[in-house]
Amino acid sequence: MADGTDFLYPFIEGDERDAGALLVDLAASVDAKVAAADALRETTFARLGTEVSVTARSMADRFRRGARLFTFGNGGSATDARSLASLFGRPPAGRPLPARCLADDPAVLTALANDVGFELVFTRQLIAHAGLDDIAVGISTSGNSRNLLSAFEHAARDGLLTLGLAGYDGGEMRACGALDACFVVESDSVHRIQEVQAALVWRLWSEVQGCLDEDAPGV
Amino acid sequence: MTARPVTAAADLATTALTLARRFAAGATMWCLAPDWPEHAHHVAVEFVHPVIMGKRALPAVAVVDHDPVSWLRVQVRRHDVLLVVGRASTAGRSVLERARIWGLTTVWIGCGPRPEPGAADHVVWVDDDGPAAPYDGRVTQPYHLLWELTHVCFEHPGLLTTVDDAADEVCVTCSDEGSVAEVVEAGTAHAVVRDRRGTTTVDTLLVGAVVPGDLVLLHAGTAIARIDAVDAVARGGAVEAGRT
Repeated sequence: MADGTDFLYPFIEGDERDAGALLVDLAASVDAKVAAADALRETTFARLGTEVSVTARSMADRFRRGARLFTFGNGGSATDARSLASLFGRPPAGRPLPARCLADDPAVLTALANDVGFELVFTRQLIAHAGLDDIAVGISTSGNSRNLLSAFEHAARDGLLTLGLAGYDGGEMRACGALDACFVVESDSVHRIQEVQAALVWRLWSEVQGCLDEDAPGV
Repeated sequence: MTARPVTAAADLATTALTLARRFAAGATMWCLAPDWPEHAHHVAVEFVHPVIMGKRALPAVAVVDHDPVSWLRVQVRRHDVLLVVGRASTAGRSVLERARIWGLTTVWIGCGPRPEPGAADHVVWVDDDGPAAPYDGRVTQPYHLLWELTHVCFEHPGLLTTVDDAADEVCVTCSDEGSVAEVVEAGTAHAVVRDRRGTTTVDTLLVGAVVPGDLVLLHAGTAIARIDAVDAVARGGAVEAGRT
């Protein structure tokens, strides 16, 4: 800049060369974000602790009757849904339970998306696989994913236990009436929401395992 | 480039700057998590499809082939990035080793007992030995933060032109006397080999017959010794046994 004010914008010409100040800023921003996630986890656990326990009890009762767990989500939430299914299905300790993720098979997903529309990619799989005693868990950050809302409505009609995880203000998931439980992580950061959702999933899994241990005969 | 970071926050900061520099230079980031493939997919989707509108899409790919070394060998280019998510005991170790021979920058995010120093160019670690960290968000958070910080670095274009060339620094797999290379094509007395500097033809009379994929130690245009792939990994130090 020629007007003598470029000292106010030291980086604007792309001639910044010393990374030291940036690295200090980045590290400070990490500390702030981690602290924000810790605080969000704490307030969310305090608010939802009872609901998590009640849901864990219902899930354990269904698993005892032979329930299968189906999980779903889009994008990063699809990977979180897969992580949830893998935690229940192949746990690092405790009882393995029948759980799988409906976002895992690209042939099925693309066939359904191409032929019937993306809104039905999970619903159609529930129609094919799920029954009365099963459990459906959908993960979203916005709470507004059409394909999750559709799957929840179908699952509720078919008598499945339905659990949704959402962020922000819970979106349509919180209000839809098709969910037996909806854990809303109240934040507007997608990343902090997903991190705290994962912590809730771990708590839920631990409590389901605890319920099944209590129920185990003769131990 | 910089002094060894002393906290996870500092590790993330230096890793993000390296990543931004690599992406600015045209790198692809290959993501591998043999024990928790969902993490490899999560990293890839974060970078390819940013959660914040307007941020640039960056090339990141989840590696899901059952033989990642064979799959990556033909996909990667020098100066790409390999990001592994896994414990110190992960099968991804052998891929990290090959990736450095191919000239990639390596990043390792994990939890539990730490790998030995220098096991990857950048190590970001969750020091918790329990079973929960891969599932409860604590292993996810470092790569979320890495994405956020990498995009902050893109706001500093002047810092991205400095090539932080880890491949030109002293590598854990080689001394200043020679470097490890992978055989690409084998002849009777010569072989085409690939190392962190590129592809070249070397004399193989000293080591005898080699086949593609073999590792050899190079010195002055000659393969002077064979290296067992397991030895090459072990040269980085002892591997702590994983818990799972």
